[in-house]
Amino acid sequence: MLVALLAVAIGATVLSGMVTVYYDIPRQMGQEFRSYGANLILVSSGDNPALSIEETERAKEYFPAGSVVGVAPYRYKTAKINEQPFMIAGTELSEAKKASPYWFVNGGWPESAGEALIGQEVADTIRLLPGGSFTLTGTSTDGGSFTRDFSVSGIIQTGGTEEAFIFMSLEDLDNLIGAGAFDVVECSISATEAELNNIAAQISENVPGVAPRLVKRVTQSEGAVLAKLQSLVYLVTAVVLLLTMICVATTMMAVVAERRREIGLKKALGAANKSIINEFLGEGVFLGGLGGLLGVALGFVFAQFVSVNVFHRSITLQPMLIPATLIMSFIITGLACLAPVRSATDVDPAIVLRGE
Amino acid sequence: MNLLEMKGVSKIYGNVHALQNIDLIVEQGEWLAIMGPSGSGKTTMMNIVGCMDKASRGSVILHGVNISQESAKNLTAIRRDKIGLIFQQFHLINYLTALENVMVAQYYHSIPDEAEALRSLERVGLKDRAKHLPSQLSGGEQQRVCIARALINYPMLILADEPTGNLDEANEKIVLDILKQLHKEGSTIIVVTHDPEVADEAQRTVVLEHGKIARIVRNNKEV
Ligand SMILES: Nc1ncnc2c1ncn2[C@@H]1O[C@H](COP(=O)(O)OP(=O)(O)OP(=O)(O)O)[C@@H](O)[C@H]1O
Ligand SMILES: [Mg+2]
Repeated sequence: MLVALLAVAIGATVLSGMVTVYYDIPRQMGQEFRSYGANLILVSSGDNPALSIEETERAKEYFPAGSVVGVAPYRYKTAKINEQPFMIAGTELSEAKKASPYWFVNGGWPESAGEALIGQEVADTIRLLPGGSFTLTGTSTDGGSFTRDFSVSGIIQTGGTEEAFIFMSLEDLDNLIGAGAFDVVECSISATEAELNNIAAQISENVPGVAPRLVKRVTQSEGAVLAKLQSLVYLVTAVVLLLTMICVATTMMAVVAERRREIGLKKALGAANKSIINEFLGEGVFLGGLGGLLGVALGFVFAQFVSVNVFHRSITLQPMLIPATLIMSFIITGLACLAPVRSATDVDPAIVLRGE
Repeated sequence: MNLLEMKGVSKIYGNVHALQNIDLIVEQGEWLAIMGPSGSGKTTMMNIVGCMDKASRGSVILHGVNISQESAKNLTAIRRDKIGLIFQQFHLINYLTALENVMVAQYYHSIPDEAEALRSLERVGLKDRAKHLPSQLSGGEQQRVCIARALINYPMLILADEPTGNLDEANEKIVLDILKQLHKEGSTIIVVTHDPEVADEAQRTVVLEHGKIARIVRNNKEV
């Protein structure tokens, strides 16, 4: 009996724990996935090839509060070092760091004016190490020319096109070429592909001049990974529930076998099959209820444990999960009791009460 | 009035003829003993009369109802309402007290009534043992609890299969005295026994051999 109770409790624990994790995975993993970089970019859709600060701010209003990981605006400009052309990107460095956490910086991020991050490719071409300096020359937006010295705070490695860029703060770039609009805004938002599509649709409808684009490569692979993880959770839960059922059925079967004499006696005393069925189902329901309650409590602890250890985040209890787990426990124990109850009604008092 | 009429009753298990062509009439208020060697079909006959088993052939009319043709469900109801069973092995539920064991029979019959169950225990002289578990009672006391349970629903027929088979002489006498008292009060009793002293108390003794009635003895005189 205790074994069966334990089995139900464990089953319910895994059920409620897994369901909690199941529903939390997208949120949890959403945060994790944000380390893969921007999943939504904003570009200009109008005649003007650039995005103004106002347009950007208006578009940002459609991002759900709390789910924005980083929004990094970029301004591009070509300039020369030793007569060799390079692409300069001005950005809000702190936001870029948040939106693209996968950038590996050898050295440090720029901390004051006149410091820049250079891509590995750039560093190779002009043979620079962190701490070194270079001179940028070029033409500003108003037609004048500029020459300015920068020191290298760090070298970035991404394995991608960023390695060919020189990154500096927007202020530094504005000082060089004059203030202007953004070429692109890279946004990292913790949301599912469907939610992102929805955000994009709202922005393109309500903010003229801004064209949102999903970074399909990122959003789609996220979706695929999530689906796989969730079906794994699903499978594990199903297997555990099946095992629970087998365990409960076996225990109840043993209980019935152990009590054959008592069942036979009760029948001899006039117990109808219905009474016998009710007695055992009653025990099953009790088992299911108690096991289910235990499972809800343990399941929350279990889910919390998984969440804290795997995702480094705590979770909140879903109130709906309590009745759902209880009902599921009742169903599982009910199903598991079917065969044992049947064998209880099959007991023939004439046979079990015959002398030893 | 005849309480029980058996006509041409046979019970066949595979190729074992446990009962063969039994004809027997038991009157209301009669005390009948059944004797015979082991395997002669005594328990089989009790089970058929007690609605626990069905005859393979023949008819069994209990209180006007042909129980050889009833469904299992109806047999359960008839057993509950009309029969009191006393077993050689007592068959008490070991985790229930004496009183609760008696009340189990009330529970399936109607509703448990503690005062009445206590009165039933009092009749068998066990009022002060009501709260004891079977393991805390002697064999004789357990058998008296079993009798109290059999009596609780006022059965019209008491069936006792070797009720003194597991008891010593002193306890046998106590149980026998209870049966005598019940008979005096008008109960119909059929008791299976190996003990001639028990059989002597009955008005008639049916002797079974190989599933057949070998002879019927009335007041120690051959019929
Ligand atoms: N369920 C059964 N299946 C097959 N054979 C059975 C069954 N029940 C009884 N028998 C056989 O029927 C015969 C009569 O058995 P029964 O139990 O009625 O004898 P009995 O007179 O009560 O014997 P005892 O004095 O040992 O209690 C025996 O040969 C027994 O083996
Ligand atoms: Mg027998």
